[in-house]
Amino acid sequence: MSGICRSRLAEERKQWRKDHPYGFYARPEKKADSTLDLMTWQVGIPGKPNTPWENGVYKLSMTFPEDYPSKPPKCKFVPPLFHPNVYPSGTVCLSILNEEEGWKPAITIKQILLGIQDLLNDPNPESPAQSEAYVMFKKDKVSYEKRVRQQAKENAP
Amino acid sequence: MERNSHLRTTIGEPLLNTVGASRVLMVGAGGIGCELLKNLVMSGFQDIVIIDLDTIDLSNLNRQFLFQKQHIKKSKAKIARESALEFNPNVRIEARHQNIKEEEFSVEWFKGFDLVMNALDNLDARRHVNKMCLAAKVPLIESGTAGYLGQVTVISGDLTECFDCLSKETPKTFPVCTIRSTPSTPIHCIVWAKSYLFGLLFGNAEDDDDEVMVKEDNADDETAKELETLKAESQALKTILAQAGQEGFTELVFNKVFGTDIERLRKMEDMWKTRAAPTPLNYNQIMDITGHLSQQLNVAPESTTLKDQRVWTLPETVTVFGDSLVRLTERLKELRESDPEASISFDKDDAETLDFVTATANLRAHVYGIEEKSRFDVKAMAGNIIPAIATTNAIVAGLMVMLAFKILNKRIADCKTTYLVYDSRGDRDQLLISEKLAKPNPRCYICRNAYIGLKIDTTTSTVQDFVDIMEDGGMTDVEIQENGRVIHDPDFDDNLGKTLAELQLTNGKFVDLVDVDDRKVIVYIIHRDSAALDGEKFILEGDVHKALVQQDKLRKTLEQLKAADAAEEALEAARKAASAPAHKHVEDSDIVMLEEEETRKRKRDGSLEILENGPLKKSSLTEPAHPSELGGGSQQPHAVSNDGVGDGTSAEQAVDVDEVVMVDGEEVDVVILE
Repeated sequence: MSGICRSRLAEERKQWRKDHPYGFYARPEKKADSTLDLMTWQVGIPGKPNTPWENGVYKLSMTFPEDYPSKPPKCKFVPPLFHPNVYPSGTVCLSILNEEEGWKPAITIKQILLGIQDLLNDPNPESPAQSEAYVMFKKDKVSYEKRVRQQAKENAP
Repeated sequence: MERNSHLRTTIGEPLLNTVGASRVLMVGAGGIGCELLKNLVMSGFQDIVIIDLDTIDLSNLNRQFLFQKQHIKKSKAKIARESALEFNPNVRIEARHQNIKEEEFSVEWFKGFDLVMNALDNLDARRHVNKMCLAAKVPLIESGTAGYLGQVTVISGDLTECFDCLSKETPKTFPVCTIRSTPSTPIHCIVWAKSYLFGLLFGNAEDDDDEVMVKEDNADDETAKELETLKAESQALKTILAQAGQEGFTELVFNKVFGTDIERLRKMEDMWKTRAAPTPLNYNQIMDITGHLSQQLNVAPESTTLKDQRVWTLPETVTVFGDSLVRLTERLKELRESDPEASISFDKDDAETLDFVTATANLRAHVYGIEEKSRFDVKAMAGNIIPAIATTNAIVAGLMVMLAFKILNKRIADCKTTYLVYDSRGDRDQLLISEKLAKPNPRCYICRNAYIGLKIDTTTSTVQDFVDIMEDGGMTDVEIQENGRVIHDPDFDDNLGKTLAELQLTNGKFVDLVDVDDRKVIVYIIHRDSAALDGEKFILEGDVHKALVQQDKLRKTLEQLKAADAAEEALEAARKAASAPAHKHVEDSDIVMLEEEETRKRKRDGSLEILENGPLKKSSLTEPAHPSELGGGSQQPHAVSNDGVGDGTSAEQAVDVDEVVMVDGEEVDVVILE
């Protein structure tokens, strides 16, 4: 049992309860024994206004490893999202969530979620994670945007 | 001659008596443990408890000298006891073949010792014992070795740094993107071979994780042709697997994994803008060359190194690939005749699986232009082997006993952390380097808590009762967690009516409490039936109010630290902005700021760490500060120089070489090995 991991997550929850960005939600998952599981959070990320992603709130599950915050949490859209940097399984490919690249123990849950929100309308074509969205994004922006708007509708809260 | 006569002359009668009257716990009876137990029974200790959950393995026998061949598969703790009693039958040794984390080894149990000594091989158990000793207020001697390196230190409450005061480096994991598409180091290729390809071919590949990509209903055929993704590759490989055992199977797998898959990857042009694109291999081409070469040379290249320890040539690698692939598929086929679900897993000591992983990892390395590795190296890397050396363990165990003498002699403040180093650093030519015990890290999540025992009937008392007890003690808006479970907080009060037992807050559990002012108390539950509580509803083993006063002090210290950090941060930023406006990072400004924060925190020399099979890392990160602690989200983008200008704090640290022990009542400098 890593006390550091739990204590940090408890602090993250406290911070989030005190203050979090508008339109987002993030809470530890309820367990069968009626307690909350700090290691798994259910999260909602709103699409930014004035982008094709607006009006959607995209559901994401964050799983924290035992050695968090040395290692980043795994962030997975449930259901998987149509987006060039989201794996077919729903897992987000983002530098700040990559231990070898941008992850730093000091990054907060709030920063991660804001980072993913930024990624929605600003995909990184240099690390494609699914072919469908990637190819459409590269070749046919119009259909891509249409598809994104459709997805926003499906994810209206 | 009486057994202890020399000892008495050396450490003196009073200390010898103290040592003889002490009760010590030794956690772990492996590499360091065997040496330590030998030392303990030979240096006057009379009452020793050893605990180890492990059994003896053949590979232990080269250094764990209390064990012999006939002991294989028996309990380490028990055999260690038997062997030690043979050369000193006058000692009371209790051997427990159990996990130290079991409930019966409670805080109260730990309180029964004068001293605890860790001879462990993993972070998890070390953390556990660290915490138990903090709660029980028993001094702990922590030790570790890795190859030629070793270290010994003392952990004691408010006096010293605890095991968790500095974050430890944990085994690396790798992001999927790196492993599957863009490897850049040999270990990436090895992980790909061992965890991805091996599992896909010989395991029950589960499409569950993104390690193996799921097939997606892709409608657009044209785009699919242009860009196949990784999941399609996995899928295709599975199709090929159906042909296992048939003529040309090896070639098929080879050309798929190192040919077509790579060609497809190459087409993801964006990926190769900043890195070298991989070069596909073709089975027949290599085999043609092989035939050609062997005709020309007729003999394999003569080499003085063992085949295991040199890097194979490409044709050799391909041959081993084919050979191991065929053997493993055959083995799997046989296994599956009796059990259709059977699978083979990678084992560094299983020659065929190691051959396969070595060959595939090196072929992949070849494709990506990465350095190839010998089978010997691959074995160490894939099997996470950390070398263990008997002499290192012996030196470390010796140092532990010297610290034990000092602690029992009530001179804990004089103890030092001692490092055993391999090559001399700078102009110092000694193997042992000691430094003063570090003070606790005020931000430590583990030792900067108040630990308080609570005797209570968990079957009748509710969460509400518990909250009341703590709030009566002075906490407000209390939040309660246990091992990652939120039991209660001001936004989550579902459980107030439940009993502690219903929520598994039972005997021996550590419950974390935080109040609105960030004051932290850890309560360990001691279950007592109501009848055993002398008419009280509960008994607190400690003063909550006092603990809170201390916590308030700590908060103040932390705020000062925060302020100092922020000031330093601002200064540093200003300095950098003035001197190096060259590179402007375009990343999120918050993150850039964090990078600086980290550079700045690299204060303590991260030189040494270590531990037998599991490093105790003095890592660069002193604590996981998050920016909320740094006060406000600074939004100004900073200019960051690429080389991360050194802050001049890393090179040297105050080192203090004399290790002093009492010899016959006199202080004597201890040998510094040269």
